[in-house]
Amino acid sequence: MMNALLILSALLALPASAEDPSFTTGTMETAAPPQGMRGRPINLPDISVIGVMDGHLSDYKPDTAKDKFEFEEVETAFQGFIYPEVRADVFLALHKHGAKYEAELCEAKASFLRLSEGLAAEVGKIHVNFGKLNKMHTHHRPMIDQPPVLTNFLGEHGLVGQGGTASYLLPLPFYLQAEAGAWQGEGHEHEASGKTTVVDTAGNTVEVPIYQESAEFSLADKVFTGRLKASFAPTDKSELELGSSLAAGHGAHWEEHQDEAKVYGADLTFKLWPSSYERWAFQNEYFHLTRTVPAGRLQRDGLYSFLNYRWNKYWDTGARFDYAEGAFPTQSIERALSALVGYHFTETTRALVQYKYRRINGGTVNEGWLQLAFGLGPHSHELE
Amino acid sequence: MRSLFLALACLLASSTAWAKLQVVTTTTDLKWLAEQVGGDLVEVESLSSGGQDLHFVEPRPSMVMKVKRADVLVRIGLDLDMWADSLVSASRNKKVVYGAPGYVDASVGVERLQIPTDKVDAGMGDLHVFGNPHYWLDPSNASIIADNILEGLVRAEPAKEAAFKENYWKLLRALTEKLKEWEKKAAPLKGVKVVTYHNSWVYFAKRFGLELFGNIEPKPGLPPSPSHVNKLIAMMKEKGAGIIMAESYFPLKGARMVADKTGARLVVVPSSAGGLPGVRTYFDVFDQVLDALLDARGGKP
Repeated sequence: MMNALLILSALLALPASAEDPSFTTGTMETAAPPQGMRGRPINLPDISVIGVMDGHLSDYKPDTAKDKFEFEEVETAFQGFIYPEVRADVFLALHKHGAKYEAELCEAKASFLRLSEGLAAEVGKIHVNFGKLNKMHTHHRPMIDQPPVLTNFLGEHGLVGQGGTASYLLPLPFYLQAEAGAWQGEGHEHEASGKTTVVDTAGNTVEVPIYQESAEFSLADKVFTGRLKASFAPTDKSELELGSSLAAGHGAHWEEHQDEAKVYGADLTFKLWPSSYERWAFQNEYFHLTRTVPAGRLQRDGLYSFLNYRWNKYWDTGARFDYAEGAFPTQSIERALSALVGYHFTETTRALVQYKYRRINGGTVNEGWLQLAFGLGPHSHELE
Repeated sequence: MRSLFLALACLLASSTAWAKLQVVTTTTDLKWLAEQVGGDLVEVESLSSGGQDLHFVEPRPSMVMKVKRADVLVRIGLDLDMWADSLVSASRNKKVVYGAPGYVDASVGVERLQIPTDKVDAGMGDLHVFGNPHYWLDPSNASIIADNILEGLVRAEPAKEAAFKENYWKLLRALTEKLKEWEKKAAPLKGVKVVTYHNSWVYFAKRFGLELFGNIEPKPGLPPSPSHVNKLIAMMKEKGAGIIMAESYFPLKGARMVADKTGARLVVVPSSAGGLPGVRTYFDVFDQVLDALLDARGGKP
């Protein structure tokens, strides 16, 4: 028997723990299992830099950003665990605003990954989990521009809040996650174009800032959000995701407009993987905005529908249809068709080209972008 | 009445399933090995299929549910299946997080090859800092993988240790027999010069004595460039490499072109169970690959 075991060990180069059938390994006697190699054996967070360069062509004459190729954004990320089952992710961005680069705390959050069975929470400054695209950082999205429905109803930089959110993965045989958040919403700051004097209801003359009606709409002040997301795998090679979202709060310029707003969202995504690298993704989001102002109630709709096909490990192509009404009393409707081609050098380095044909209030605009985005270092985002 | 019986039968079947230890693996090879060690006492699901590039698996919500149900997670490690991390986070399953008793890194104890000794960056392609992660392609490493799985199962279900060990030794006996068979079968392949698509066959080559001297990819994960392919063709002609190995999921256009220009035989091989039709188990992978290589070399499989 001993000989047989020696031969067996020699043949298989067995680990020491398995040489004797009646073995009891040291690792079994301790609570912690042997851990494999992961990350780097130094006490540093994962540090990464994402750089995004954009070139933009347009036949829309008033567009001040057209016919330029420039560094659009640099995002630096620091990510890691700060306590067992608690991680921190800090994303600092320098991005182009007009002619200047401005620093911004893009996201900074502590994530409590397992508060109890199925329950997790995040606190900090966070891209709110509303629909499919809002949570994704721009360099991670499969398109260069933001669909106008997000810009019109959630703001140019999407719905970003300071606050917290709790999510619960329901104990069901299929994926169903419910999430609720409370935020101090940050309407992206825009300077007033000037001041004027008006007579208030008490008959006093007061000075007020002038905000142009065309300034973007976004939710701000106390914002409450909710999201329900379900997912099913009809086959081993496909996934169907359904989601509904709600955000309620004041408009960003509430003091001027006195507006209460609610944005309802519904999304549907179907993905199909015919082979290891090939993938079809059909992603759709529909938003409905109700905005109650002293003069009455606005109701606006918007959607996008995006079809993406990755035909091999490196190349993908896509097309998107947009329909978005403006969030302001003056009716404006934008329809657009986009076509995209992308080449992915690595997971975080890519080149994208996008053409977009827009019809807005009867006028047409042709636009094109070239985007080069690169990643340095280990950069990760949670499951989206 | 019939419906009632059916419902009861379903209930019974599902309760039996839930009584089993739930194991989730990142690959089909680990699934098969976990099934051998766990036997009837475990239910194992793989997060990837055998025909997938393991560097390129897209995590999805339905996978979250598999991880959520798991008592034990078995992964390849060495930063190959990093996509599993986001699934573990999203699942909120304390049993399988890094450091928990149900977390099994199958690479622990494996003698790693090609560990970078200098600075590593993306200029070198998709290089793994802890060494080449394709260690399961040396079948003798299966004993180490199985040992790690055994320890994980025992940590999760100590009361069933004896049964797991019995299965484990049964697997090792079968593996010993197969290793003898494969060593004998691979004898004519010793010193045979082989080009591979990706740098994934170093463990296999070391075990069976193949001589690897190039990859179709210029650097790991990068598509073949014309200049690299031209150099490779010249080298293959000079050194007489007669076989190109490519996993079934890689695009074969570049490899076919090289084969055409050099007269080498292109061998499409599975790198995991399920990687080609008929390759159902981890052992089948080596049967299939050795047969294909022998056939390409001109000898009978």
